[in-house]
This record gives sequence, structure tokens and C-alpha cells, in this order.
Amino acid sequence: MTEPFAPGDVVRVAAVNPPGHRRTPFYIRGKQGVIERVCGEFSNPEELGYGFDGLPKKRLYRVRFRQKDLWADYDGAAGDTVDVDVYEHWLSRSTSTARSEARRR
Amino acid sequence: MSEQDGHAHHRQDHGHLNDTHRHPPAQPDDTTSPGHYELMILAMRDLLIEKGILTADQIRRGLETLDSWQPSRGAEIAARAWTDPVFKRRLLADGNEAVADFGIDMGGAKLTVLENTDTVQNVVVCTLCSCYPRAVLGLPPDWYRSKNYRARIVKEPRKVLSEFGTDLRDDVVVRVHDSLADLRYLVLPRRPPDTEHWSRDELAAIVTRDCMVGVANPRVEAHAAA
Amino acid sequence: MEPDNSHLTSAKEPGRGYHDLGGLDGGPIETHVTQAKPWEKLAVVVGNALGAKGAKLVCTDEVRRTREEMGADLYNRLGYFEKGIESLRRLMVEKGLIDPQELERRMAETAERIAKEGR
Repeated sequence: MTEPFAPGDVVRVAAVNPPGHRRTPFYIRGKQGVIERVCGEFSNPEELGYGFDGLPKKRLYRVRFRQKDLWADYDGAAGDTVDVDVYEHWLSRSTSTARSEARRR
Repeated sequence: MSEQDGHAHHRQDHGHLNDTHRHPPAQPDDTTSPGHYELMILAMRDLLIEKGILTADQIRRGLETLDSWQPSRGAEIAARAWTDPVFKRRLLADGNEAVADFGIDMGGAKLTVLENTDTVQNVVVCTLCSCYPRAVLGLPPDWYRSKNYRARIVKEPRKVLSEFGTDLRDDVVVRVHDSLADLRYLVLPRRPPDTEHWSRDELAAIVTRDCMVGVANPRVEAHAAA
Repeated sequence: MEPDNSHLTSAKEPGRGYHDLGGLDGGPIETHVTQAKPWEKLAVVVGNALGAKGAKLVCTDEVRRTREEMGADLYNRLGYFEKGIESLRRLMVEKGLIDPQELERRMAETAERIAKEGR
């Protein structure tokens, strides 16, 4: 298991499109966001979908994305965000230099 | 309003269903031919009961439970949060624990309450299917389940909100919440000004389902019109 | 009545499932709300009764997965509750709990009965 993330950590969603039952939506794949909170541990839906028990549980994180990081032509407010609940195995620590900016909630 | 269910056909099936409770009358107005999927769910239900996988009683109780899931429950919760600061703290800290006060069981989902403020408007979606906090809001409305909403709310929330008649000031930030896991989100709308002396019932009356999804905000005129 | 969304395709980006709609283009929101019909409520209740709070024979993610597997054509054509019923049917058959021919026969019998006696 990877070291847990903490609120404020900058993370990147895996840029993969595996077949099968996934709960990570296409529009955030490959994108960078910030851990807004740790949600807890839950059975893995990618396994539950096929009748397995989904164990061991996976850590679930609320990841906050800036709208302007998701859509090139976003014309709402600069502070607008999308929060998505993402399972740990889709996330990796980002080495972005936008770390201090991203920590702002 | 309690709608009748497909139980009418039980009148003919006493032999093997072994059903002793009173049957509610059939929906008198629906004389259209049943579609393919209506037939399917009726047949599936009969087969599952015959095979002992489900019972007629389970179905009956399930329909009663479903009928009890209404937006008025969410509105009551919001009104209490507005008037009871201790309850509000509990609600924001642990939604499941707080709504147990109202006898509400979220059924394994983690109720997460999002507080709207002067400067933050929260709005909820499930882009992959239509997850929704049914125990406190009932079944999701057509638009919430629609492709147009699920596609557009994450990328142009302000435009979508204006289609609901909700226009936001420039200094308000919009936070969209895509509920794809075990958390279910309920928006606690901002209490309008000049409602300090309202009763909880009056307050609950202006908290609509749309306010608790986040596409609208409570309107004091709604109260005046009542 | 479900809005006609057949103009929406979700296969423009390779790797995006047809159910994975966030960020696609879409039309105006139809804000009119309809009441669920009795058979639609029954679909919800049967699904719940088969799940974690009842028979524990299906779980939410299996229902989601079957929705994602039924194909773009069915997904776009069927209404919300119809998709739910189709998902349950597939799961029941997959798990050997219902025989598809038996289900068809029973559907035909139900249709005949309703035609004669009403709902």
C-alpha cells in the first residue's frame, strides 16, 4: 500500500482508460488536484462490481480540482472547483510546483 | 401521496403467493398497455417471490419505506440546522449520526452535508449514474438523472444553474461535487436574511429539493406566496 | 417521459465509457419533474430487496456494472428505471436465479392477464 495522502497534498489522477467497472470519471484522468479530505476506507467497487468482496479496503480521498485545470475554456470564476471522491490506487503524488497555491482551500 | 403498486395482480395469485394482507386497489386511471419493462418487473417480482428469494411482505414494506423518502425530510433537517447550532455542528461533523434523530437510516451510505455560505455555492451530481441521498430526498428528479445535467454541470455549472433561475454573484465560488463512491451529499442551503422569527415549519417550507441539490437557493417570496 | 437524448453520443473519446458523461456537450436542462409510476417504484424496491438490506444477492456496484455493459444503444434508448430493470434481469440470469425463457413466458402471461383484467 502507498503511503497515505494528507489534506493539502497535490496529487495526479492516473491517465489510464482501463476497461471494466471504474468509478474514476474520464474528465479527471491525468489531471492534477489537491486532497481536500480523507474520506475513510471502503471496499473496492472495481471488484465489488464482479461479485468479489472488494477487500482489502482502499483509502478514499476527496480530491479538489480547479475548474480552470479541467477545462481549457472555463469561463466561470477563477476559484470554481469540482470535488471528486477518488480511490487511492488512482492517485500519485504530483511533483507540480503549484503546491503552495494548491494548498489554499 | 401514496401511489398504488403492481399488487393488484395478487388478487388472482392467492394460490401460490400465500398472501394474507389486504391488497390496495389498483391504480384506477392507468389503462394504457404495459410496456416491455413494466411486464418484466412484474414477472420478475412474481418469480422471485415464488422461488422464495423475496417475500410479498418485503416488497410491501419496501414500497412503504420508499414512500417515506421525501424531500420534506431533508427540509426538516435543514430547518433544524438553521435554528439549532448544536445540531448543525453534529450534522456537518457526521451526517448519519445527526439524521438518526429523525429516524433516518442512510443504508450504508455516508451522508455528507455541504454548507452553502455567502461566498460558496455547492452543487451535487453523479456523472456516472445518478447516486443521490434518497433516504433524505426521495428519488432523484428526471433532470438530475438526465444526460444533459450529468454532462454539463461539471464543466459549466453557472450556465446550468441559470437555467434553474439561479444566478450567482461574481464573488461566489461554485463547488461541484461528483458523488461517485459511498458518500452521499446533501446541500445545506444558506438561510435567507429576515427569517429570524420564522417557525421551523415555515423555514422548512422554503427549502425545496432543488435547494438541497444546490441548483437553487431558498426564496423568501415562496413563503409570502403560500 | 424520458427526454430524447439520442443526439448525445459518448464514444467520441476513446476509452470513455458511454455512461461516463462528465464534460460532454449537452442540451438545455428539462426541469419538468415527473412522478415515478407504480412499476418504476417497484423496480426500485425489488432492487433494494435484493441488495444489502435484503436478500444480499446483488450489490450496488454489480447493478452499476451491468448498466455499463448493456451497450450504448440500450443505454441511450431505455429510460432510467427501464435500465434498472434490465440490469436486474442481467444479474439474475448471470447468477442463475432466473431463467430467461421462464421470465419471457411469465411476461407473456402477465400481458395476457392485464389485457383481460387490467392492472
